Amino acid sequence: MNRFRNLIDALAAAPGDRPFVTAWIDEDEQETVTFAEFRRRARSQAKMLSEYEVNTGDRVIILMPQQIAAMTTFVGAMMLGAVPAFLAYPNFKVEASKYRAGLAGVTANLKAKMVVIDDAFPEDMLGHVHLCEEAKLIRAGDSKSVGAEVELHDLEVRPESLAFIQHSAGTTGLQKGVALTHAAVLNQLEHLAHALKIDGEKDSVYSWLPLYHDMGLIACFILPMVCHMRVVMQSPLDWVMHPETMLQIISEYKCTLAWLPNFAFQFVPRRTPPNRWAQYDLSSARALINCSEPVRSSSMQEFENAFSAIGLKSGTLHSSYAMAENVFAVTQSDINAPSGPNRVWADGQRFRSMHVIAPVAQGTPGAVCFTSSGRLLPNNEARIASDSGILLAPGFVGEILVKSDSLFTDYYNRPDLTAKAIVEGWYSTGDLGFTLEDQLYVIGRKKDLLIVGGENIYPQDIEEIVASHPAIHDGRAVAMGVYNSDLGTEDIVVVAEVEREELLTNTVDIEREIRNLVVGGIGVAVRTIFLKPPKWVVKSTAGKAARSGTREKLLKEHPELDVRGSGD
Amino acid sequence: MTAEEQQMIEHIVRLIRKPGANIDENTPLVSSGLIDSMALVDLLLKLEDLTLRRIPAGKVQPKDMNTVALMFATAQRVGKARK
Repeated sequence: MNRFRNLIDALAAAPGDRPFVTAWIDEDEQETVTFAEFRRRARSQAKMLSEYEVNTGDRVIILMPQQIAAMTTFVGAMMLGAVPAFLAYPNFKVEASKYRAGLAGVTANLKAKMVVIDDAFPEDMLGHVHLCEEAKLIRAGDSKSVGAEVELHDLEVRPESLAFIQHSAGTTGLQKGVALTHAAVLNQLEHLAHALKIDGEKDSVYSWLPLYHDMGLIACFILPMVCHMRVVMQSPLDWVMHPETMLQIISEYKCTLAWLPNFAFQFVPRRTPPNRWAQYDLSSARALINCSEPVRSSSMQEFENAFSAIGLKSGTLHSSYAMAENVFAVTQSDINAPSGPNRVWADGQRFRSMHVIAPVAQGTPGAVCFTSSGRLLPNNEARIASDSGILLAPGFVGEILVKSDSLFTDYYNRPDLTAKAIVEGWYSTGDLGFTLEDQLYVIGRKKDLLIVGGENIYPQDIEEIVASHPAIHDGRAVAMGVYNSDLGTEDIVVVAEVEREELLTNTVDIEREIRNLVVGGIGVAVRTIFLKPPKWVVKSTAGKAARSGTREKLLKEHPELDVRGSGD
Repeated sequence: MTAEEQQMIEHIVRLIRKPGANIDENTPLVSSGLIDSMALVDLLLKLEDLTLRRIPAGKVQPKDMNTVALMFATAQRVGKARK
């Protein structure tokens, strides 16, 4: 039984004088609002929306920069019983055609009553905001009552009413709007707050995560709102440009919690000059949680090695398995474990050929290391299923299926997708993993898997080995499957960037060494290696190699390839 | 053209790997497809170095980066002097 009936009640119960959101722009510019001030601004936005006749159940799209106004508009819509959704704000890196296509699909699917933009929304991008017939486009500041105390009629928002829609992540998946009820969200947050032992008075969250992504929206906005906890946030773009600011903000605000995708555990130490590490202090952090990508032990180790001298305590790095469809987390590693998430070493050959985890001692030649994503949260269940739907025992690798009391209702307006995704109450995640001793281990996306001669090969394993070669730029290698019609199986193709252009004059030796490394590491042969100059590999917004974009680029340059299989 | 603008052009020529490419401060870069959007983070960091200013990325739009002249104007408009 939840403590609150809905998310608005949870916000209403927060102590008014406690700081809620701090928007960190740079060293000189920050804005903090208390819970009382946040409520006042949200009511003002609700009033503004009601002036435009937004009512219970209407969808409201919010296209605003990652600032406090976007959050108060989101909550303002919920105060009216409307259903808000954040979408990505255009930025200098966005390609207009892609932005237009993504936005048009989402706004049409949601049949939104209102699209709210900010006053600074670029005029030249306005043409890309697609509106369906009934929708109105308004600016967030367009209220007659801004600044005034606003009275709203008491509105009974029932627990089973839709609270908001969050869009599942992915380069092409923006069309899937995950519809979530107040009850589902509150169930999730109750379990998560319990697992993390959150104390709203003492804890505070650091975030650079976008609000249109589940980590940014749930862990770094709605969780703090319901637990009455502070969040200090910065824009994702500012973080990508200056990842060192994460250390600066955690040090300055003594943040205790943060969620980060796996790559960030390497990105921050590598992009922060070591001679500046000593300026920072991470001793306030009690859980930095690796989430949203398969957890790599080597990435966590790199972060810990870099920052243990500036106060990062052993056992601070954690892991979680989360997805928009479950509101957020399915599992969480034990917050009290003195050395962080469990790890297991397994026989590499048996893992690849028999899809089974046979534990071996650490350091055994050919062993593969897996890092646990933790135990299931209360009222969450997971099953592992084979391709033919047979349920697998612990230690066997298959697709992860999830059932919980926070599972999504449906993909908004997409019964076709919902029917495919949820079968008899179980959600097919599309992720591969296994359970062992009550822990869930996530290996990667099912669609990324390469099957070579009956062996399961995970592209990220090859990419890690290729990137370990000194001539290859770290993190700039992509492995993919190419169908070999003669053999009836997939061949492995690797494309990788060299550190310096002049290395391309001697590719024969580098290619040979890479082949040897891959064969030695995981026992499979790479058919073709494409070595490319610096900056060739397509990167995602956050600067990591993007599989699907790189694959498309390679296909364009080498049309002779029949590339298929992996995607982002 | 300022020395800094000239340095930015040389940086872009290296980035697009077209030695001798004819780029001046008013050559459209993004809208002409000469550089892709992924290269813009790199250019924005270079712009910060050349102008000694801190540029809040969230306040920069694609059109602001379309020419070298616009980039420097943007740095003046939204950037702050580095400490």
